[in-house]
Order: sequence, then C-alpha cells, then structure tokens
Amino acid sequence: MASHGHTIDIFSEPRRFDRAGPGALIAALIGVAALAAGFVMKPGGADLRQFMNSYLLAYLFVLSISLGCLFFVLIQHVVAAGWSVVVRRLAEQIAGAMPLLALLVIPIVVFRTELYPWLNPTDEMKHLVEHKRPYLNDTFFIIRIAAYFAVWTLLSRGFLSASLRQDASGDAAITTRLRTLAAPSLILYGVTVSFAAVDFMKALSPMWFSTIFGVYWFAGCVLSGVGFLALVAMWVQGRGQLTRAITKEHYHDLGKLMFAFVVFWTYIAFSQYMLIWYANIPEETRWYLVRQSGDWWKVSLVLLLGHFCIPFVLFISRHPKRSKATLFVFAVWVLLMHWLDLFYLTRPPEAPEPLLAGSAGGIPLHLLDALCIIGVGGLFWAWVASALARHSLVPERDPWLKESLAFENY
Amino acid sequence: MSASTVTKKSAATAGPATAPHSLVAEFASADALVRACEQVRNAGYTRWDAHSPYPVHGIDRAIGIRATRLPVLIFLCGATGTTIGILLQWWTNAVNAGVEFPWVPTFLQGYNFIISGKPYWSFPANIPVIFELTILLSAFGAFFGMLALNGLPQHYNPLLRVDRFRRVTDDRFFISIAMDDPKYGSATRRLLEGAGAAAVEVADDVKESAPPRWFLRAHVILACFLLIPLAVIAYMRVDKQTQPRIHIVQDMDNQERYTAGKQMANPVFADGRSARPKVAGTLAREDFTQDPHYFQGRIGDQWAVGIPMYHPELQKLAGGAAEVNEQLMRRGRDRYAIFCSHCHGLDGAGVGRVATYTTEREIGFVPPKSYVDPDVLVRPVGHLFNTITNGIRTMAPHGDQIPVADRWAIVAYVKALQRAQTATLEDVPTDERSRMTQPK
Ligand code: HEC
Repeated sequence: MASHGHTIDIFSEPRRFDRAGPGALIAALIGVAALAAGFVMKPGGADLRQFMNSYLLAYLFVLSISLGCLFFVLIQHVVAAGWSVVVRRLAEQIAGAMPLLALLVIPIVVFRTELYPWLNPTDEMKHLVEHKRPYLNDTFFIIRIAAYFAVWTLLSRGFLSASLRQDASGDAAITTRLRTLAAPSLILYGVTVSFAAVDFMKALSPMWFSTIFGVYWFAGCVLSGVGFLALVAMWVQGRGQLTRAITKEHYHDLGKLMFAFVVFWTYIAFSQYMLIWYANIPEETRWYLVRQSGDWWKVSLVLLLGHFCIPFVLFISRHPKRSKATLFVFAVWVLLMHWLDLFYLTRPPEAPEPLLAGSAGGIPLHLLDALCIIGVGGLFWAWVASALARHSLVPERDPWLKESLAFENY
Repeated sequence: MSASTVTKKSAATAGPATAPHSLVAEFASADALVRACEQVRNAGYTRWDAHSPYPVHGIDRAIGIRATRLPVLIFLCGATGTTIGILLQWWTNAVNAGVEFPWVPTFLQGYNFIISGKPYWSFPANIPVIFELTILLSAFGAFFGMLALNGLPQHYNPLLRVDRFRRVTDDRFFISIAMDDPKYGSATRRLLEGAGAAAVEVADDVKESAPPRWFLRAHVILACFLLIPLAVIAYMRVDKQTQPRIHIVQDMDNQERYTAGKQMANPVFADGRSARPKVAGTLAREDFTQDPHYFQGRIGDQWAVGIPMYHPELQKLAGGAAEVNEQLMRRGRDRYAIFCSHCHGLDGAGVGRVATYTTEREIGFVPPKSYVDPDVLVRPVGHLFNTITNGIRTMAPHGDQIPVADRWAIVAYVKALQRAQTATLEDVPTDERSRMTQPK
C-alpha cells in the first residue's frame, strides 16, 4: 500500500553472499579437531563414558536448535503466515542440517551401552526394565533412531528444496502445496520428537515415568531454535545482507515466540513437576529427588530463575523485543538456559542414594563438555554457513514476501 | 455552523426531531482515506474518526492514535488475580483462623484441610489456582477493557442514519468529524473536500426524547419475571417439606454399607463382625505418647479430674494462659456449636436438631441424655474427653474430626453448661442476689 514508505523491493536488496567466507571451513576444522582431541586424549582422566555424556549433551543441544527451526518452518506454512517469509529461508537452512545430524548421531548409537543403563540393567532395575522390554530393546532402539532421522531429513530437506525451487520458478502453487503438506508433517514431527525425547534422554533413567516428557523437550527445541534463528538473522544483517528487509517488526515477532516458549516450557515443566510431587510415588519422585539433592538443587534453582523468572520479567514488555541489542541478549540467554536444561536432564546420576549420602561430589561439569560443544557446534555451523552462502537468503519469489516486507506490529 | 449548510435528508417525512451531529466525508480508496486522515490530524481535530471495511495498514499513525493503555490495564488485572489467588488459598487453607484470628466470625474462617498429606501451605499445589486466576482476570481485563476503551457496546450511532455511510461495510471509506470538536467550523467542509472526499454530508442525530411507553412497560414486566426465582428461593427456605429434597447429584451418598451402630454381620471377615477390633500387636498412634492425661484423659488407670492446662497446645487456645479462662471457654462454645449441638442442643439438654428431626419423623434415633442427668453429672472430665474421642454406646467417636486441644476446650464448656444448669441461688454473688429474688 502506498501509505507506508518502508516497503522495499527485494530485488534491490543484498540477499546473497558472494562466496562462502573462510568462516565455514575454519569452523569445520576446529570442530573436527576438538572432537578428535576430546575422543583421543580424553583430558582430565576421562573415560569413554564421560566423553559420551558430554557428546550427548552437545549433540542434543544442536539437534534441538535444528528441530526447533524445522518446527518454525512447518508452523509458518500451516498457518499461512505472511510476516515470517523474510526469515524463513534462514530457518529452512538451519533445519536443513539434518543430514549432518544424522551422521553425528552414529557415535551415540555405536557407544549406546556407555550411555543407556537399560542396556545393562542393574539388579535394582532389572524387574522394571524387563517389563519395558517390548519398547526398550536394542533392535527397536536402532530402528527408531533411523526412523527419526529419516522423517526429519525428509521433512527439512523437502521443505527447503521446494522453497528453493520456488526461487527459480516463482510458482505460487508450491506455497499452497507446502501448506497442505505441513499439517500431516507436523503430526509426524510431533510423534517423532516425543519419542526421540524418550529415547535420547528419558531412557537415561529407565526406572522413571513421565508422560509429558516429549512435550518438555519440544518446548526447549522451539525456544532454542527461534533464539538461534534470531541470532543468525542478526549475523546475516551484520554481514550486509537483508539489511532493510528484516526489520525490528520481524525481530519483535521472533521475540514474542521466544517469550511464548519460555512460558510454555515453564508450563510443561511445572505440569510435570506438580503431578509427580502431588502423587508422591517413589518411582516417579526419584528423578526429582536426584535433582533436588546434593548440589543439583542449585542447578534446578538456576533453571527456575533463569529459564523462567528472569526472562519473564525482563522480556514481557514489547520494547526489549523490538531492540536488536536486548533481543540479542534474550536469544543468547535462552540458548544458555536450554543448554543448562539439557545438562539438568541428562547429567545427574540415575539413583539418588549417593547424593543423599553426600558422597557424590559437586556438579560434574567437565572439560569435555566444552570440547564437545565446540566440536559438534563447529561442524553444525560449518554446514549452516556454507548452505546459507549457496542460495538466496530469502525465498525471493514467495507470494507472501511482499506482505512480510511490509509487516508491522500494532 | 450556519443553518444553511445543514442539508436535511428526509425533511419532508415527519420523523423524530433531529439536529446536526457530525460531518461525514466519503473516500473511494484506502489510500485516499489515509492521506485525508493525515490532513485532518494535522489540522488539529480531536473528536473525529475514520471508518473502513477492513483494517488499513498505517491508519493508526495517520489518525494519530496514541498507543493503547490496555496492556497496563491487563497487567494490573493479572496482578490482582495473582494476589487474590495467593490470599484466597492462604486464608482458606493455610491459616487456622479460629486460633490465630479468633475475632473473625466462624463463617469467614477457613478449613485447614490436610490434602494428600501436604502441609497446609504448599506452594506447588497453590500455583494452578494462582495461575488460573491470573489468566482469568487478565482475560477479563483485556476483553472488558477493550470494550470500555472503545466505548462499546454501542447500540446506536448517528452515522448510520446517513444512507451512503452503509457502504462502509462494503467498499467505501469515511471520515467523520463531530460538530462539537473545538476546531469545527466552516473550514471543515472545505478541508474534507480539499482532501479528496468524493462526497461530504451532514449526519443528523435524533434529539433526545423520552423512551416510548411500551418500552418502559416491557422492562417493568421483565423485572417482575426476574423476581420469580428469588421468590421461589425465599419460599423454599421457609417452607416445611414432608418429602426429602430431590437429590440430584448422588455422589455415592446412598449406598449399601456396614454401619457400626447396627452391628451388622460382615461375611468378609472370619469372625463376621463389621466393626473391626484393633489388630493384635498394634498400637494406636496416641498409645505412644508419653502423656495419657492430655491424649486420653487418663492418669494411671483413673479418669483425669483436671483439665491438662499445662499442655502448650491448650495454652495456645487460652491465649497463653495456664488456666481455663474465658478465651478457652469461647473456643469450647464455638467448637461445641459445630460438633455437638445438632444432637445435644445448644444447652446440652439433648434436644438438638437431629433429635427433633428424628423424633418428628419417627426415625429410630435415641436422643442423648441431658448433660445434667445424674449419670452424666458425675463423669470426671477425663471421661467426657474419652466420650468425645471414642464415642460412647450409640454416640460415634469424634476424635478424628476434632483436634485434641479443641476436645479439651469442649470438655471445659460442657462442664460449664452443667454447672450453669445445676446452679442455685447460693452460686450467685451476694450483691447480685437481691436482683434475682425481687419481683419485677
Ligand atoms: C450424632 C449425634 C451426636 C453428636 C454429634 C454428639 N453426641 Fe454425644 N451423645 C449422643 C447420643 C445418642 C448419646 C447417648 C448415647 C447412649 O446413651 O447410648 C450421647 C451421649 C453423650 C454424653 C453422655 C455420655 C455418658 O456418660 O453417658 C456426653 C457427655 C456427650 N454425648 C458429649 C458429646 C459431646 C461433647 C459432643 C461434641 C463433641 C457430642 N456428644 C456429639 C449423640 C451425639
């Protein structure tokens, strides 16, 4: 509409890196080096189990981000969102790293006995694990992991390549078709993410029960995915691309999504906690007992304050979401908190007894945690950065693009 | 505004008297509307508005609408919800108002229920209610606040009297400027025409007049109808029913059960008794206590004859005093009214509501003896305490319902009832006696 002066023509906007900078290659090299160093040297007297614990944590962190962006892409299509088109390609490319993540899951499958107690149950566990055998058995585990990555790769690559095809053809029918496909895709997504949460994290405590666990991880995925997306958008703009196309209106909406998922995560986390606390059944409370004993209660407390209270109070108003500087802080913060959340989900010991006896030592942070996140994160960034450099940074012939460029919050 | 500029629409037809209300300008496109709005805004008008079939991007700024205050209102409502949620649960469950705030009337006191073995005040359990109330009041704030700030609901708008204005829901765009705008003058029409209006017209408003008779009558009749439910309720409250009330929600209220009173046989147990004796080799929790006087009303194998005022719980009820005092008596009277009076009557004569009700209907209930029955008069306090705790003959135990200290307060009060009803003239202080013997 002629009345707003800020509508721009996308074809006059820098929207493509000329070439992949050296950053991608450097990230890849650092990533490989860090992982290799960690695996071979095992610093600090670590064993393979410690390495795998750290690897799992770093891996899940990156996987969450990618899955969060995949959800972002799907949900934008299913609701036929106009506002998000200028950032959708970035999300598509972040989700598009799924083949790499499928590759990186292999160590977890190979060394699964180091991680998952149900593969070698202790005497205490045996009885219960026996009952869970129909689900928790080796063959089915591997089939499931393969199935997850098949689904996620198909979805993320499928939506990405359809979008790229539209760049070339400008065919509006692609948008309509993707909208139709997005609905069943979301169902597949929901089911696979729930079960993956059980397999990757809940199976670390095979004695435990929680039916909401999948949703809990999903909340963290979307939160970190959108946070990362906002950071990538800032990075892209910092390198002179899409400088006028992505406006504070789009950042505002990304901020709203982050805020919504901060609250949603809390809602789910509390729902899980309250029911278990209320029913007070030993096989359910042990999981929380562990996280409340020893030094772990401090982690729980930091999570409560940092993952909910602080961002809730600081970012409830619209202003910090509309300023790039504060939104940057918000995005970095939620990523940190999501990492801590995964740490809290995966790292505590299975049984509370040593903690209660005070013989468990402090919080088991390890040098390998840093090495692994540098390693997996470096490889992930190398993939994303080089993928971004290969194509236009925006779905430039999407029929909703004009609406997205003119988007304003009221 | 000179009368000549007023174009009377349907002047010929004898409708209600009208007066010019505002100036309406029609525009053909949203762009034209936005541009015109900017001009009207810049001219300094304040009492005007733009109308369009759909939300127009950028119109807020063109009109110069300030950011809404709604978020602040919603926040305040939400915070109120949070506060109510916290206070409500704290007062109804976490506070033992009867002891801590004895001046609060009983019907305003809470319950102190133990739920699921959690402490009276346990935050995780309280969060859902706090959360829901926060959301509820925020939503009310948002919904009703939006209505109020927009001046809705509005059943009538004079603009709708302009025929061409109807296309505002279809394909035309309008600006209306009220004639009581301080800036309003002869230049207004020129401004609108200059801003590209396709047509400018005056909207008339009906002069205020009394509502028609039928309208008032209808309301009076409606109000009378609304009184019917109230009247029914009032009637039901005083009416005596011979039939039991309709029991809609059964809630397992009427079901087969074994009652101790009827001493029914129960095939589930080998000995056929439905009332189970204590399991051999077990001890009730109170058997463990070192204080049989306080917990059982016994000293050795004798019934205690004194109230154990040395016990801190009991002293708490007496406001810290170590003897039976008025505060303790009041507590006793209060608890007695709640737990005993419906059977024993407020005076302890044995004619409470339950007794009258059952006697009237000839339901087999043996009314309790009067407290001044010679048998009961001689009971030591320990025995009375035991009667409350464990029941006696056909009276059921009340120990589960009444905390120990409260039971003692009741005992003290029952003793006072007995004393009052067996009093003689000698018990009245000498200087007061003359007042009682003097004829009126
Ligand atoms: C559901 C009705 C009911 C309630 C409530 C009730 N009582 Fe009774 N009470 C009785 C009946 C009936 C008897 C007579 C029992 C019998 O003689 O078989 C009785 C007897 C007594 C006696 C005489 C016992 C004796 O030594 O012979 C005392 C004292 C007494 N109740 C005190 C209380 C007190 C104090 C309360 C309140 C905590 C109370 N009762 C609540 C029905 C009730």
